[in-house]
Amino acid sequence: MKHLIIGVGAAGISAARTILKEKPEDSVVLVSQDEEVYSRCMLHKLISGERDAAGLNFVNDGLLEHKNLEWIKGKTVTRLEAATKSVYAGDEKIASGDTILIATGANSVTPPIGELRTAKNAFGLRHLPDARGIASCAKNAKEVVIIGAGLVGLDAAYALLELGKKLTIIEMAPTVLAINLDAHAAAAYQKLFEDKGVVFHLARKVVNTRGDGRGNITAVELDNGSLIPCDMVVMAVGVRPAIGFLEGSGIKTERAIVVDDYLESSEPGIYAAGDVAGFSGVWPNAQKQGEIAAYNMCGTKWIYDDRFAIKNTVNFFGLLSLSVGAINPADGDEVLVKEDRLNYRKLILRGGVPMGIILQGEIGGSGFWLHLIKNKMRIDNRGKSVWKVSYADFYGTQQNGEYKWVV
Amino acid sequence: MKRIFIDQEKCDGCKNCSFACMQAHRQTPGTVYDLDLLDPKNEARHSIVTNGKGGYVPVFCRHCAVPDCAGACMSGALKKDPETGHIQYDEKRCGTCFMCVMSCPYGNIKPDRVSRTKILKCDFCVNDKEEPNCVKSCPKKAIHVEEVVWEAAV
Ligand SMILES: Cc1cc2nc3c(=O)[nH]c(=O)nc-3n(C[C@H](O)[C@H](O)[C@H](O)COP(=O)(O)OP(=O)(O)OC[C@H]3O[C@@H](n4cnc5c(N)ncnc54)[C@H](O)[C@@H]3O)c2cc1C
Ligand code: SF4
Repeated sequence: MKHLIIGVGAAGISAARTILKEKPEDSVVLVSQDEEVYSRCMLHKLISGERDAAGLNFVNDGLLEHKNLEWIKGKTVTRLEAATKSVYAGDEKIASGDTILIATGANSVTPPIGELRTAKNAFGLRHLPDARGIASCAKNAKEVVIIGAGLVGLDAAYALLELGKKLTIIEMAPTVLAINLDAHAAAAYQKLFEDKGVVFHLARKVVNTRGDGRGNITAVELDNGSLIPCDMVVMAVGVRPAIGFLEGSGIKTERAIVVDDYLESSEPGIYAAGDVAGFSGVWPNAQKQGEIAAYNMCGTKWIYDDRFAIKNTVNFFGLLSLSVGAINPADGDEVLVKEDRLNYRKLILRGGVPMGIILQGEIGGSGFWLHLIKNKMRIDNRGKSVWKVSYADFYGTQQNGEYKWVV
Repeated sequence: MKRIFIDQEKCDGCKNCSFACMQAHRQTPGTVYDLDLLDPKNEARHSIVTNGKGGYVPVFCRHCAVPDCAGACMSGALKKDPETGHIQYDEKRCGTCFMCVMSCPYGNIKPDRVSRTKILKCDFCVNDKEEPNCVKSCPKKAIHVEEVVWEAAV
């Protein structure tokens, strides 16, 4: 069997690895717009100059040299023909397979405001060329505007601070990292960035841009009328699943590709995994979906049931946070907060079940919270303070020595 | 692959294993007698937790068949060694995102508290030819090494 995988990100690579492990005699064709394999989560390290492109490579085995793997790089698929399971770039047929995995991830959203879509000095941050573009434009930029204070916006800010730029960050939400943290935990990061000279405009929108008439933005205008001069703009306002090339293919899409429990699309034999499947926007889930889709492409049926995706870790300037599940309570929830000089901890309980946790400061050994929250396990009946609960309270072993959870 | 098996009832919480782990991974030369137990640089890679009923629960890395930590790793720093089956960590690759800390359901990974630029996890004392130091040091034989079949299934 020949398996065609579009995309060499977290999902595409883990799928290729799983297929060649499951079915060493099958072959895999990878097709990607990317010319290199790199971890998007580290793009800011390329901007800051900490790492070169090779240093972002996350493939740690000989996968790409496998004799049954072919990688067609630098090709952007513009059309997929479901009946023949073939993909095209313009009129050129690039490859076909007995099964297809679509693992094309997402693209940054470019707001249709002023010259943001067209300016030479405005960038998203999702692909390696974006990071290279930012790094190169930054050489001649002093003042940079970043739109969006989520994880990607602050990653960009961190990198540009390393390069000594003067930064202004504009964010629609009233706090930074609004999707990941509550106001209290977010304020700690805001302060760290402000201490480095970053100016924030929170609860503000960019409504227009001013240009030099030669394709460069020279200032952005906010909804309160103020003008912020800049030599460069980075947009980090969110992503959209990369499904443009599926138009007319018959594959059902909504905001993302519509898949069933086996990650199969509306067209038999064509699967989707990772950000493009719309379940999640984090690496671990994309990786897992690639693995599950691969098993299904090989004929072993695996259901994708670990869909929980409201989870993240944050690390800026050595301040660590972990956030899983709800960040703010619903009516009737119990909120427990514990704070000292170095730590902020907030736990949201509903009927004794943890709905969400934020840990800021010490996060070591706290992975069990993800398991407790996603499986809705009661923790108020363990005969101790809920803050003392850990995996040890559910300890049990299987015959092969692996752990299990005993309730 | 080899895995550390745990006889929970035998553990009396003496933490010799923790001292052995700290000693095995300390960066300074010296013996267990001059080991600074309070130095966060010397943290043990496992935990011995009281169960509140006079007993103890030793929680050591399982080097799982399907490791959530390595699955979460966006840099390739965590990898299941195809030969030994143990999950090894390559500090040079690590992007310090700490998604692995969040993803280990047993809480067996922690950021290095001093540098915050790497993680601490069990390496099965990969550089020692003998058994892991924790196992060697347990006077109660509450932990021992066994060979298990490593099925790489979901
Ligand atoms: C700056 C930044 C920081 C991040 N930090 C973190 C973090 O710390 N932790 C975390 O969990 N997540 C983080 N993320 C999110 C994470 O990177 C994604 O969730 C993950 O990369 C998704 O993997 P994927 O395989 O679905 O898609 P992607 O990694 O986006 O890969 C998509 C692949 O498809 C290819 N492709 C796309 N369209 C086409 C086409 N038409 N034709 C051919 N090939 C195509 C691309 O070239 C690429 O190879 C971050 C993202 C960014 C941008
Ligand atoms: S902290 Fe390092 S080892 Fe852990 S998931 Fe992130 S990159 Fe991988």
